[in-house]
Order: sequence, then structure tokens, then C-alpha cells
Amino acid sequence: MVNEQLGLSEKSKDFLENLRLYLFSSGKNSGEIKEIVEELEVHLYEAEQNGKSVEKIIGNSPKEYMEMISDEMTIDYKTSIKYICLIIFGSFSFRIFPDLLEGNLSYSVLEIAGHIVIGAIFVASIIIGFKYLSTRKQTLKKIIITLIPIMVLPIALFVGLLFLNHSVETPMIQFGHTGSLIVAAVTGIFLIGVSIWAKTWVMVVVVALLTLPDYFLSMTSLSDKMQLMISPWITFAGIAIYLWISFKLEKKRSES
Amino acid sequence: MSTTQMLKGILDGCLLAIIKNKEVYGYEIAKKLESYGFASLSEGTIYPLLIRMKKEELVTATSKKSTAGPRRKYYSLTLKGEEALQSFIKRWNGLQNNVNNVLRYESDGEETKGDEHGE
Repeated sequence: MVNEQLGLSEKSKDFLENLRLYLFSSGKNSGEIKEIVEELEVHLYEAEQNGKSVEKIIGNSPKEYMEMISDEMTIDYKTSIKYICLIIFGSFSFRIFPDLLEGNLSYSVLEIAGHIVIGAIFVASIIIGFKYLSTRKQTLKKIIITLIPIMVLPIALFVGLLFLNHSVETPMIQFGHTGSLIVAAVTGIFLIGVSIWAKTWVMVVVVALLTLPDYFLSMTSLSDKMQLMISPWITFAGIAIYLWISFKLEKKRSES
Repeated sequence: MSTTQMLKGILDGCLLAIIKNKEVYGYEIAKKLESYGFASLSEGTIYPLLIRMKKEELVTATSKKSTAGPRRKYYSLTLKGEEALQSFIKRWNGLQNNVNNVLRYESDGEETKGDEHGE
């Protein structure tokens, strides 16, 4: 995060955040990103103290300047692959736990391959979207117009995959009882590991909210139809409440 | 041709010379360049060059506390950097000489060097 104590102008702060986003989505080494952003922060601070404009430092095209810096930095393939795996396997876990409640796991080859491909498309669209946003003057409208397609695209593709899976027959992979338990255990360990590593429980919370309402509702005497109607609302409301609470906590932490 | 394009490569040598003289940080380098007449240059131009020079082990950087404000990153020249500076000075002197000769002889419109002498 940009150092608030320096009292940089909004324009300088925006530039630094955009630079960070641009370099991150270009797959650059995070240590090097931190270094150059901090160095430029110091420069902008001293320049502003002496009454210089941001343009005097970065020239008239922030995009060109960001490219100039990016060209000299090394690409960190290891970290990029780590993030891509996280997103793809993370999306698997959203699927695996709710499916476990229905019984043993079984997926068609098409489903598994499709899942990986959609994950990859999602990652690519995030990278393109972030790069686009970081090099332009951001308005709320532009951010929404960019982010909505990125969010809707994977949902649309998953729905497409669902239909395709019904009409095209590919070999099924049956996991059996022990197999399903092993997959569940591995996914569980993966989720907890990621949460500790990323210092956020958001994935565990979302998986729990996707899985548990169905489970508990199935133990009530409500009709199946009623259960189907209530369950998504509990999930969405739960996620909304979780995000709201974490936002409040984050705000409190940054204020203190 | 823009000044920035002409400056590419030359600026590297200038940075090496400034860093050789004294351990300096980014803003200081920019200020020095400005005082030498490079006023139209965007100050940030030096950072991509510094990143590359650090990668090529021509300079090293250490972060130091400053009396006022945040930590600064100070650059100093390595042995390899000094060699690069010496080689730059040599090439620059040669180049400067050649360009000056061309401009001197070609711009006064009289007989120029290397002209074909007819019968």
C-alpha cells in the first residue's frame, strides 16, 4: 500500500497504484515491484515538496513510462504459475464439496478439461482487464464496464459446459467411496493451506456457505422445492455479510 | 529525432559518472542532471536505466534512512561499473570528435573532406 504519512497528491498515489497493478499483471517479481514502487514514491514525495508536477517525473504518458519500467524487470514465472494454479484448483474446490454431499464423486473427462480451460480463460481475462485499467484514467463507470464481463464470462462458460456435457458423451471418471474421501481430504488441506498462506479465510467461508446450507436444509422437514429456493439466498446473504464484516474490520485496522 | 531518443545510451554514461563521484539516490541524480542542463528530461527516465544497470552489476543499491522523510535507495559504482564508465568516456570522446568534424566541415558549404576530386 502507498505510505499515507507522506501525504502524496492523489495523482501520484493513483500512478503508483496503477504501476503496481500493471507490473503485477505483467507477471513481474513482487519483490522488484515493491522496490521500484517505493523508490518512485520517495522521488514523487521529494519532487512534490519542491513544487514539481507528476508529469515532470513520469512524462506525459504514464502508460509509456510503465512499459519502460516493465521492460527492464524480470518475469517471475514461478509466482505467476502459483497464482494460476491457485485459481484453477480453487474453483475445483467450490465444486467438489457441494458434490460430495450428493454422494461419491464422478466427473466426465469433458467436465474436468472444461473446468481447467475456463479457469485459464478467467485468469487471462483478469490479466487483460487489469492491464487495461491500470493504463487508463479510471472512472467508476470504466471499472464496472471492465469488471462485469470478467465476472460474467466464466459463469456463462460454466453454463455452456453444463449443456455441452449433457449432449456430448465423454468417459466418466468414478472416484468411489475411498477415492472421494481422499479427494475431499486433499482439497480440504489445499483450502486451509491457501488460507493460511494468503492470510484470508474467504475461500473457506465461500465453500462452507455453498455446502452447508444444503446440508442443514436437507435435515429439516421443508419440501425439496422450498429447500432449493432458500439455499441460494442463504449462500448469497452469507457471502455479503462476510464481505461487509471484513470490510469493516479492514477499515478499522487502517484507521487505528 | 526527439532528444530522448538521441539521449538513449548517452544517459547511461552520465549516470555512471554521477554515481562514481559520490553515493547518490534517485532524486539527487535527477537534480544533478537538471543542473547540467537536462531540464526537459522526465526525471523518472533514470529509473528504468538504474534497474538495468543494477541487473548488469554496474551499480549496487543500499537502502538508508534519511533525516527527513522515507528511506532512500543509494547507488554506488561497482568495479564493473567503473570499467563501463571508462569505456563510455573513450567511445564518447571518439564519437563527439567525429560528429563535430562532420558538422564543422559539412555546414560551411566549402570543399569538404572525402570529396571526389575530378580531373
